[in-house]
Amino acid sequence: MTIHHRSSTGRSLARRLRPLGVLTTTAAVATLLAACGGSSKATTSASGPDPNATITVGSLNEPTTLDIVKGGNTGHAQVLLRNVVEGLTVLTDDGKVEPLLAKSWDVSQDGTGYTFHLQSGVTFSDGTPLKASDVVAALKREISDESTSARKKNLSIMKTIEAPDDSTVKVTLSTPSQSFLFYLTSVGAAVEKPNAGGSGTTVVGTGPYTLTSWKQGDSITLTRNDKYWGTKAKNKQVVYRFFKDATAENNALLAGQLDLVTQVTSPDALTQFENRSDFSIVEGTSTTKELFNFNDAVAPFNNPDVRHAIRQATDRKALLKAVWANRGRILGSMVPPTDPWYEDLTSIDDHNVASAKQLLAKAGHPNGLSFTVDYVPSDEINIIAQGLKSQLAQAGITITLNPVDDATWTDKVYKNHNFQATIMNHVNQRDLVWYGDPTFYWQYDNPQVQQWVKDSETAPTPDQQTALLKKVARQISEDAASDWLFLDPAIKVASTSVSGYQKNLTTDSFYVAPITKR
Amino acid sequence: MLGYLVRRVAWLLGSLFVAGSAVFFLLRVLPGDPAVTLLAVGSSPDQLAAVRHRLGTDRPLLVQYGHWFGDLLAGNLGASLFTRTPVLDQIAGRLPVTVPLALSAFVLSLLVAVPIGVFAAVRRHGALGLAVSTLAQLGIALPVFWVGIVVVWLVAVRWRVLPPGGFPRTGWQDPAAAVQSLVLPVATLTIAQGSVLVRYVRSATLDVLSQEYVRTARSLGYSLPRALLRHGPRNGAATVVQILGILLASSLLGTVVIESVFALPGLGSLLLTSVKARDLPVVQGTVFAMTATVLVVGLVVDVVQRLVDPRLRGQA
Repeated sequence: MTIHHRSSTGRSLARRLRPLGVLTTTAAVATLLAACGGSSKATTSASGPDPNATITVGSLNEPTTLDIVKGGNTGHAQVLLRNVVEGLTVLTDDGKVEPLLAKSWDVSQDGTGYTFHLQSGVTFSDGTPLKASDVVAALKREISDESTSARKKNLSIMKTIEAPDDSTVKVTLSTPSQSFLFYLTSVGAAVEKPNAGGSGTTVVGTGPYTLTSWKQGDSITLTRNDKYWGTKAKNKQVVYRFFKDATAENNALLAGQLDLVTQVTSPDALTQFENRSDFSIVEGTSTTKELFNFNDAVAPFNNPDVRHAIRQATDRKALLKAVWANRGRILGSMVPPTDPWYEDLTSIDDHNVASAKQLLAKAGHPNGLSFTVDYVPSDEINIIAQGLKSQLAQAGITITLNPVDDATWTDKVYKNHNFQATIMNHVNQRDLVWYGDPTFYWQYDNPQVQQWVKDSETAPTPDQQTALLKKVARQISEDAASDWLFLDPAIKVASTSVSGYQKNLTTDSFYVAPITKR
Repeated sequence: MLGYLVRRVAWLLGSLFVAGSAVFFLLRVLPGDPAVTLLAVGSSPDQLAAVRHRLGTDRPLLVQYGHWFGDLLAGNLGASLFTRTPVLDQIAGRLPVTVPLALSAFVLSLLVAVPIGVFAAVRRHGALGLAVSTLAQLGIALPVFWVGIVVVWLVAVRWRVLPPGGFPRTGWQDPAAAVQSLVLPVATLTIAQGSVLVRYVRSATLDVLSQEYVRTARSLGYSLPRALLRHGPRNGAATVVQILGILLASSLLGTVVIESVFALPGLGSLLLTSVKARDLPVVQGTVFAMTATVLVVGLVVDVVQRLVDPRLRGQA
């Protein structure tokens, strides 16, 4: 899942759990920052960028629908968010929430009243001016019965949504929420032209591109919106081509059919592109966390000593080396460095086989332990699974590997909690808060943590929110709630003729407007 | 013959019914709830229940089956759970890729494999004949996706002669590009199917070679090729027609793997995508359409066999 799951052959990590949307998000990202421009190593040639270029992007993540309030198993955010539809706020590549359709906002003293002042001069791509009532309709639809959006539950705290005039939107929350502006950056809360979408196959928004075609099973074409209210796209057209197979995608890039791929999901694939002057390999940071999770509610994992023993038996550095040749970074808790509450906690439960054995003996398993690990196979997860198996064996722990398909995983592990341990990647930003939900699939239940998570949401200032969530991150690590392995690197491979793409993989969208091609 | 046809068609409809029902129930035995796939992480049980209700997956299995079957009789395969696009439209949209792919691979396999198979039989003791047989055996043993990957790497990535996959976005409006994009997939499928066919044709020819009528013809002064040409086809035809049926069916099914390796938007990739997303109506519709095609091909094969081989006509 990535809890981003979706799709694909199970090969791509990022896709895992995507369906579940929230947790994951993969994809890519981008921001307008000038920095973006710097991500490519392309040498400048005599010819400048072509303002009418077509950029072809390879992706393993074809949307199942273009209806933006549908959640779960869909890759629509990657294609649509920021490119075709825009929200009141936007999440940038480095994890910050910034204004977009709302140029500013006021928050009431008690933190429950938000007044958004809309950008002026915004039109939908068909030329109709954006009115505050369109924003109201979009936000109401996001929390309506027809919505299955990932953030519907979070955004259902919107008690009233009104448009006192054409350029102002007033929202009253049922409770203060530090994350509200962040939730508004999600694709479901983006603003689309009411009733313009037809059965999930098209959408009209205010973004720098118009969706011109979706050829299901093959591609989506975006064309520059010349009436765009902000900085216009630096290319004329972007074609997302969808692949089911990462090898086919890499071949298309090698053969010159693609300009870039959104994410390299198989470490082995990189060797084909290394040391070649016509390709750039760009490494950024992601929010995709590889987790070895226990069912904390069942024996033997309901004993924290067992969980600590497993963590100490795990050599995260060796795993990272095996999978990504030391790209990426090891984790000590559920927080990627782009979340505001990141702290380096990797010293907790550091690799120590002798101590792991002692802990196991103390927990009543002097002769070791055996259990089954369910996982959805992919190039990456297969390596992790084999690595864990041999590492844990050194501490006397025998694991049985049980590969299953996406849908089975979702049913068995995620929904029915019918598992002992599992390997899964969680893609989303700011998903530490799942440890405050004792019904989430790993069933970690610490009332103190739940209280902190709850308090962080209603905290009066972002600093207080951050302080509380730092405590949560540390506490779950001290409780060994899960065995957090490492953060995936965000690796893009691109032809050297294109530049300006985002290098990180920290938002749900893959923002393509700044990409240029010579 | 008419009575036979009626019986045969009735049998076909019966098989379709059994196959369709099997697909329906098997899909529902599979783990994986489409409502869960549709919803996001952390959705409430209420949301789940609401989505199941909307999808109709909360109704008793037999009721769902009744609805599905009733719609089927009316020619309605339902609509995608995700985009609400009618399944028939989705299937129709994929045919311009899959039909040319499967048919070209079928025809090409025939053109290549029949002469080679006959040659391998006639020269079964010669070095070349042995080499051909061995190569065919190898072609059968190699997984088709592996052959595809190697072909792509060599022809598209190293030599850059043909595209490594994909289909023009404008489809057949650009016939040259469409044909180009099908060359490698067809070649790959032909290697796989052709190898099987070579073996069949070789053993069918060996059969014919050992028949008394061939010996008789030769004793009458016919050369071996003439004897074969004159008596072989008609005698071996029934077997060959049967093999062709199997081959056509396997060409169609082979597209599932091929379309994934070559990133082609055909029926096979529609099937893969919808299985992963548990888009049940699409899976059912696609599998049903493929099954129906295979069964109809089987029917045609049986009828043609009876037409070419009078010996079969006595049997019911």
